[in-house]
Amino acid sequence: MDFKKKWFKSAAFIIIPALVLGVSGVALAASVKVGALNDVTGATSDVGKDYALGIADAIRYVNDNGGVNGKPIKLYQFDYGYRIPEALTKYKLFKRLGCVAVLGWGTGDTEALSPTITQDKMPYVSASYSAHLTKASKTPYNLFAATDYSTNARAAITAWYDTRWKKHPDFGKRKPKFVCSYHFAHPYCSAPIKAIKDQAKLLGFEVGPDQNVSLVAIDAKSQVLAMKDFGADLVWHGNTTMSVSATIRDAFALGLKADHIVNNWGFDENLPRLAGKAAEGVMGAAVCAFFGEKVKNMDKVVEYAKKYNPGVPLEKRLIRTVQAWANVLALWEAMKRADKAGDLTGEGILKKGFETFKGVDIGLGVPPLTYTATDHRIAGKAPIYEIKNGKFQLVELVDLKGRWPEKWEKEWLGW
Amino acid sequence: MHKKSMLFACITVLAVVAFMAGCAGMTAKPTEKNFKAPTVTLSHVEVQTYWGWWFFSKKIKPAKGKPGNYGAPLDLAFIFEIKNPNDFPVLMEKLQFTVGFEEYDINTVGSTEAMWIPAGKTNEIRIHSILDARQTQLSLLVTGGFKLKKAGKSFWDMLEKWWTQIPDFSFPVHVRDGSALFKADGLVKAVSFNAKFP
Repeated sequence: MDFKKKWFKSAAFIIIPALVLGVSGVALAASVKVGALNDVTGATSDVGKDYALGIADAIRYVNDNGGVNGKPIKLYQFDYGYRIPEALTKYKLFKRLGCVAVLGWGTGDTEALSPTITQDKMPYVSASYSAHLTKASKTPYNLFAATDYSTNARAAITAWYDTRWKKHPDFGKRKPKFVCSYHFAHPYCSAPIKAIKDQAKLLGFEVGPDQNVSLVAIDAKSQVLAMKDFGADLVWHGNTTMSVSATIRDAFALGLKADHIVNNWGFDENLPRLAGKAAEGVMGAAVCAFFGEKVKNMDKVVEYAKKYNPGVPLEKRLIRTVQAWANVLALWEAMKRADKAGDLTGEGILKKGFETFKGVDIGLGVPPLTYTATDHRIAGKAPIYEIKNGKFQLVELVDLKGRWPEKWEKEWLGW
Repeated sequence: MHKKSMLFACITVLAVVAFMAGCAGMTAKPTEKNFKAPTVTLSHVEVQTYWGWWFFSKKIKPAKGKPGNYGAPLDLAFIFEIKNPNDFPVLMEKLQFTVGFEEYDINTVGSTEAMWIPAGKTNEIRIHSILDARQTQLSLLVTGGFKLKKAGKSFWDMLEKWWTQIPDFSFPVHVRDGSALFKADGLVKAVSFNAKFP
């Protein structure tokens, strides 16, 4: 009898804890929930699909490397088709699911959500690099690991002025003529227009009439003819790659004697493929290294692209993947810091995470990241590239902060 | 009494040994060497729900709600067979692919819900691709605009053809750039797949 009692006691001692541990195994490995909004079917799917793949790859890398101090990230990734109402609905779902941060996409939805995420104290790391999101006193929870559109635009027009206009036979004789080509109705396209025109004025350009080119345009002849009538020397392209390549092709075909500068979402590996010869000499902003370039951490990007998406050939992968990794790596670092400080909340991720960054190097050709409690612009220098023989070459690292320190500090933040 | 206890203990030990041996016999230990890639095969595609073909531009005032560019939805279901050729269960963590109508990429869909596939068995999974004519128009233009232009085709003609002919599948529906991710005891295997229906 005694033996039986002992046996049952021993069994209970072994089995009950085992059952408890077994059942609660999932709970023990508590995850950190993060939402991601992507466009793989809408008006920016030409660049959004690759970005979405990059987000998923990068989160796998984070989880393979310990997650957030041992806690894996559970990613909820949705396609919202670039529809703002859908983005708002999905954001509410992220909140209900208990997400601590969101990896967002477009400017329209990011700007529309900005007051809500500020109220909710939800860090929102977007692929929209609108300068409107950099003034921390106004939009404290908006962040991204890239130079903003206005910085890119100012840098691009400055680089063209420095490297091309100064060598032009008319330099010093007349003002260079400049026009902007973009989809007026889309916040992404219009976000840096005020800034680039301000920079044009600063450098002494004559600014012509804006040209409305749809994000889904495959023909821009009438707009190109208007640029020709004005006698443009330089055109800013503010759309995404497909539409930019259509405009550049038409400009080439119609003999427009202007150079082209392009915002980062219109400047990728597909531009020379789609525009061919017309892309030669086109300058643009790239916020990180191109896919496969030899820079720190790129080996991981390529390895994970191969490992987790073997169905997508590497030659189809773009700089968009790298941009996605940059945002994920920045968020990862911020979450690790917040967690270490015992405060893995939205406010903790911002204040004990992002806003403690002082020149954090995430590699990938991204400038070292600095965020302060007042300024979420990551850096004052922006690299401008040009396409030569179908390849991207660095033209100039434009130091806006160094050249116009007062304007950088006092005037240019937030627009 | 002592004999009874001894017998009880022996039976217990034998039962535990038999149980453990049974478990061990059921599943082999996954290794890099013996982890065979599961296969993903498209069984068929269904039009899950059909609303016909229509498009209203934002110039049209609706009876209720706000004006907008609204196109007919289309709900396609892709049914895949996932075969696990291994002697141990595998966990499928992700399945993703691009939907193509003829040579044009239309949508990218997938599932990130985890699914266990028993040793040597085949599971089925149904993945929906819900499209609407407006979204498809945008996607088609930004990803296949030049192809359409070169072929001298109008995107409206293509959309109408696809939306009206899909119940009969009179044009091929493609599964492109597909990849699925499988795990077994910490080992990872990603497989790629492509398919065409019919």
